[in-house]
Amino acid sequence: MLILGIETSCDETAAALVQIENGRFCVKSNVVLSQVKIHARYGGVVPEVAARKHLETIIPIIKQALGRISPKDIDAIATTTGPGLITSLLVGIETARGLAFAWGKPFITVNHLDGHIIANLLNCRLQIADCRLPALALVVSGGHTELILMKDFGKYKIIGETLDDAVGEAFDKVAKILGLGYPGGHAVARMAEQFNLECRIQNAEYKLNSAICNLQSAFSLPRPMLNSPDFNFSFSGLKTAVLYLVQKLSDDERKKLTPTICAEFQNAAAEVLVKKTIAAAKKFKVKNIFLAGGVAANCHLRESLGQAIHDNLIGIGYFVPELKYTGDNAAMIAAAGYFKYLKKDFADLEKLDAKPNWRIDEHC
Amino acid sequence: MKKITTSEKQTFELAKEFAANLQGGEVIALYGDLGAGKTVFVRGLAAGLGVKEIVKSPTFVIMKCYLGKKLNLCHIDAYRLSRGAELAAIGALDFWGKKNTVSIIEWADRVPELLNGVKNLIKIRIEHLGQDKRKISFPLL
Repeated sequence: MLILGIETSCDETAAALVQIENGRFCVKSNVVLSQVKIHARYGGVVPEVAARKHLETIIPIIKQALGRISPKDIDAIATTTGPGLITSLLVGIETARGLAFAWGKPFITVNHLDGHIIANLLNCRLQIADCRLPALALVVSGGHTELILMKDFGKYKIIGETLDDAVGEAFDKVAKILGLGYPGGHAVARMAEQFNLECRIQNAEYKLNSAICNLQSAFSLPRPMLNSPDFNFSFSGLKTAVLYLVQKLSDDERKKLTPTICAEFQNAAAEVLVKKTIAAAKKFKVKNIFLAGGVAANCHLRESLGQAIHDNLIGIGYFVPELKYTGDNAAMIAAAGYFKYLKKDFADLEKLDAKPNWRIDEHC
Repeated sequence: MKKITTSEKQTFELAKEFAANLQGGEVIALYGDLGAGKTVFVRGLAAGLGVKEIVKSPTFVIMKCYLGKKLNLCHIDAYRLSRGAELAAIGALDFWGKKNTVSIIEWADRVPELLNGVKNLIKIRIEHLGQDKRKISFPLL
């Protein structure tokens, strides 16, 4: 079984071929073209430019993903139809619709977040059938922060979500406050890693907390909703707390303290995510925990969630996607499409449309 | 008119009361820096319009629309945009001035050219005065 995946929901144009071999997802090709640099020139994303760029590149990217594979060997076309930017989504959908019609292949609509969750199973040693359910997915990205209970593949329930900003968005906005550019989530994470590393080295060398590490306790940022009984999140107030803190500092102080602030901010965000994930895993008695989405690339989050699962839960598996599959890609879309293929859940080519606000717990 | 609020709750309540005066078709341009309290204001407004859903930041998808008991809400965030024309490209303007919808644009200063000549335009500015104190300036309805 061979599935062609197509993904254009935001700034990445992507196509991929995924084969299901011995009950595993085997990525045959995975082509991703990022527009991040193009949009950086404008200081923000430009939906019309994004759509045009998708349009220019989608066919060459699909050709590259196909390589020597003939269309007649493909069993289905899986495409992201939401959530995302409507103008970007439409390029992938219309291209896929045309191909599905011309090649006579079934069209499978895939929810972008479902793709991020299933990215955990790409090139995984475990057979799909051996992945025990129910599972819990923590989906974290620039546009989403959700705790999703997976009763089965494709059968999802959102049990918690952010009430305001997504965690990736908070990283980006903190970067802006600290003068690290926008979007600068990666810069914040890098600064935090650097700080943590220096702390470890200094602690190891002097066997005592160095002055720079003590600064961290000089200010602590809030952990919003850490102790609320539900599984929801809030990151807007954390971002504002960073702003208040920075407003009190001189330019020199700000520059000097930037790595410390980044580390404390990252700690605060990860602590809330980890605590709620563990609490939800206990309550719903899940058998596996999946970390998914662009922020799943964050080392601190990957490590601290793994550590917390090890310390607090017994016999629960922990999945993190390979780094190359944390960002948007089409291999994850093809793989997520497989579960709908099994149910023969195909879209009507005449009726299908973009769903910019598609919630993962709604069937489309 | 200018009002000072000293807590998130007060900002929320102020926006909720403000929503009671809206008739539908209004386009609200919201001004204020990062952390000024714009999202809290929008959530209060949504509550006042009878929106049941959670109003989340639309920064990433630029526009989110909600069904409300009294009026619908179209929530736009221009933060990531570089030009006003981009809002037209994603169909945001289709909602402006609709009788059953109130539109609100965060970071309206990023799309000034788009606001020229818009009917029923209401400009609201939120300033952060330090700690939890905020100044909210808006016209009387």
